[in-house]
Amino acid sequence: MTIAINQLSKEFDGFQALKKINLQVREGEFIAILGPSGCGKTTLLRLLAGFLSPSEGEIVIGNNVVGNPQQTLPPEHRNIGMVFQSFALWPHLNVQEHIRFPLMHHRFVRKEIKKNQHERINEVLKMVDLEAFAERMPNELSGGQKQRVALARAIAPQPELLLMDEPLSNLDAELRMEMRSEIQALHQLTKATIVYVTHDQGEALAMADRIVVMNQGEIEQIGTPSDIYTKPVSPFVARFVGKANLVEGVWHEKHFVPSLASDIRWPDTGVVSAMKEQNIYPVRPEQFRLSKENESGSGLPGLITSVQFQGKEIYYTLEVADQTWAVHTDVSQQFSLGEAVYIHLSVPRNTVTKNYHHQAI
Amino acid sequence: MKNMSKEIMPIRALSSLFKVKFIKIIALLAIIIFFLVPVLRLVLLSFQVDSQLSLQNYADILQDSKTWSVLTDTILIVIGSTAISVILGVLLAWLVAYTDIRAKKWMQVFIILPFVIPSYISTLAWTQFLGANGLYGKLVSVLPFSLEPINLYSMGGIIFVLGFSHYPLVYLLSVSVFRKVPREVEQAARVSGASGWRTFLKVTVPLALPGIASGGFLAFLANLDNFGIPAFLGIPAQIDVLSTYIYQQVVGFGPSAFQRAATLSVLLGIIALCGTLVQWLLLKKSKRLETTVEDKKPRVQLGKAKNLIEFLLWSFFLLTSLVPFISMLMTSLLAAYGLDFTWENISLKNYQFVLENSPKAKRAIGNSLQLALVTTIIGVVIGTAFAYYRVRKPNRWSQFSEMSISLPYALPGTVMALAMIFAWMEPVPGWNPGIYGSVMILFIAYVTRFLILQVRGSITAIMQVDVSMEEAAMVSGSNGWSKWRKILIPLLLPSVLSGAFLVFLTALTELTVSSLLWSSNSETIGVVIFSFEQSGYTTYSTAFSSLIIAFILCGFITLYVLQYFWNRKVANVK
Repeated sequence: MTIAINQLSKEFDGFQALKKINLQVREGEFIAILGPSGCGKTTLLRLLAGFLSPSEGEIVIGNNVVGNPQQTLPPEHRNIGMVFQSFALWPHLNVQEHIRFPLMHHRFVRKEIKKNQHERINEVLKMVDLEAFAERMPNELSGGQKQRVALARAIAPQPELLLMDEPLSNLDAELRMEMRSEIQALHQLTKATIVYVTHDQGEALAMADRIVVMNQGEIEQIGTPSDIYTKPVSPFVARFVGKANLVEGVWHEKHFVPSLASDIRWPDTGVVSAMKEQNIYPVRPEQFRLSKENESGSGLPGLITSVQFQGKEIYYTLEVADQTWAVHTDVSQQFSLGEAVYIHLSVPRNTVTKNYHHQAI
Repeated sequence: MKNMSKEIMPIRALSSLFKVKFIKIIALLAIIIFFLVPVLRLVLLSFQVDSQLSLQNYADILQDSKTWSVLTDTILIVIGSTAISVILGVLLAWLVAYTDIRAKKWMQVFIILPFVIPSYISTLAWTQFLGANGLYGKLVSVLPFSLEPINLYSMGGIIFVLGFSHYPLVYLLSVSVFRKVPREVEQAARVSGASGWRTFLKVTVPLALPGIASGGFLAFLANLDNFGIPAFLGIPAQIDVLSTYIYQQVVGFGPSAFQRAATLSVLLGIIALCGTLVQWLLLKKSKRLETTVEDKKPRVQLGKAKNLIEFLLWSFFLLTSLVPFISMLMTSLLAAYGLDFTWENISLKNYQFVLENSPKAKRAIGNSLQLALVTTIIGVVIGTAFAYYRVRKPNRWSQFSEMSISLPYALPGTVMALAMIFAWMEPVPGWNPGIYGSVMILFIAYVTRFLILQVRGSITAIMQVDVSMEEAAMVSGSNGWSKWRKILIPLLLPSVLSGAFLVFLTALTELTVSSLLWSSNSETIGVVIFSFEQSGYTTYSTAFSSLIIAFILCGFITLYVLQYFWNRKVANVK
């Protein structure tokens, strides 16, 4: 199901949570809404679900206006499923009853499914790998199993739109990685449009077809994961998604001169014009290289203030003039705390922008 | 969704919006009329002499030397009994929360007991225990030396019974804050070099103090508000406190009885409301610890002293929570008051009298059951509906409404009853529909006074159900009745019902309000026990009281069994 969000605003007692948002979601698309807490992403999701009504603008789901300032279609009349951050399982119902509930009440359940409820329950249980737990009560389940029940309940009535509100944030790190691929698999299986809210850029990059980065009630950037990661259009996106260092300086036609060293020239590796206008070169930590000697005079001097060994990488924090930069290097060359080093921009050989398929952690 | 046309929705939305507004206005008006106006009329009356505004009533009252002696006695009694409640409550709370004594659950049962038994029944039990023919006298006579008999009909007696009846309030609030003091902060103090005693003084006490003080103020209010104990013990000894003095003004009639009573009530009401305010502020402060869970593991090992302390505690519980009631039961089984408790003197005729021969007692049971049932049902429906609105839509109107609803309960019972008389004798000046003087006024008074108990119970229940549970039902396609029937009611029922049980018990055994509002044919259980006792029919009052206690115990056991099975079904976490 397609979604069109036009000029959508939401205000709470004078606080502008959303400011004139525009967004088009395609049929069957997996959209991640990414942003720090308080950026308005949950408000947007709750507006899509129908728990809130817009202060301005409108929301169109399919061919119908479901919300504008005058009228809001309540959640139970929308063809949606939703997974909550807290799972929101009903403590007095067992797993099977959780799946049966929407089958009985959801207004868009197909007739065949309604008739063969039992089969559908088994089918869904199989999809989330919980066949053996049909009779269990919520308090007899582990965190991951609870999550699966919440997913099963949301997909059981075959909604065309699936809303997910930070569904993995209550799970431990290992389980989170495992659930990512399960959610992807469910997306393939159900073909439903998914709107997935998260503050974890790793989740968004790994799963989504497109990412909407939000900050302070506004959309900063919409794009594919690799676009968002490699071509951030604003300092916020560069920092939030790529953890980039925002190096200040002056942009010339084809190169950049950092303000810390006027004799150094960095070539353009595909920085977007919006950043160039602000005279900023966003450099992700892995785009830097360190050396002991200032070979070819292209390095900026810096002092290592912290070293974190990560196994396949080393994370350094450096003091460069009065700024703090993050640099990630491989383990082939190691530097120690307090060491004075030179920092270079590592330019890909063909200078043409590579399409990174990077999974940030 | 395809059928939804753009034109239909706004009209529907508009009409439902209008309906919601309409209901809100009606509800607000009802709250003002039932909860605020009576109190305002009482205050107004205290400033009236011959339909003229005047301060004469206050001048008269404050110049009367009797007022000052009543005030002094009230203050002495309240301070003394609150001190007993705080010392007992905090000590027991610390022992239960911190040390490794055994059978804490059973101890808790005995601690709560004085709290659930109506105070006038406890008073009866104590008088039977310590009275001339009571068990205490028998115990003492065995001793080789002689002890003075204890006279409960005295200042000391009132202070003692009040203090012992209300220490559970202090205990309950203190035990939960003690358990919430994080073990780590105490360990941090020990690691930083503080001794155990110093840690207790510098860390535990400051953290627990708001909770303890809040419990102390609750006990203070209960002692100030209490009518049963000073009525049973003080009136025969001609010791008056504010609550009984107001009562006597009203029953004694006299030329300016109502004005005097109203004026005294305003004074008492102001003291009580100040106390409530302080208690509320302290409770808010103690909520700072609420982020932490209750830690029920013992922190202090008593070692060798454990057995001795357990022995002392159990002797205390048996002596204060069991023996007095056994004494009362023994009296109720005597054929005539004053006889020795021997096999030949035992009879059930007092019970037969109460249950069969006395029309007054039979009426009272019927009335009280009806009153309690109606109050409970109205409370569960309206109280839970209001609580739901209050929790899900917190705004200043719902806050104002909650404060209004809690006013009749925050006021002392005598004050509240008086306000009811003035408000409903002539709801509109010049028109007397006969509400006062019939059982109707009791219905109105009970619902107004006890609604807040159900509201609070239901608020706690609703807060425990996260709003996402409801939202999950809504995205699953269910709102309205099926959401309530399948999700909310099953989740809320156990805690709402235990709130309802409290309302039922409180209304069933109520004395203070009904002692001022009853009329012939509308007696309540409390009123009849009080009148038996006042006219010297101690065997009847004890028999009636024993029946009530048996009823309360049965109720608690039923509730416990129900909750046990519910928990086994839903939340077998343990």
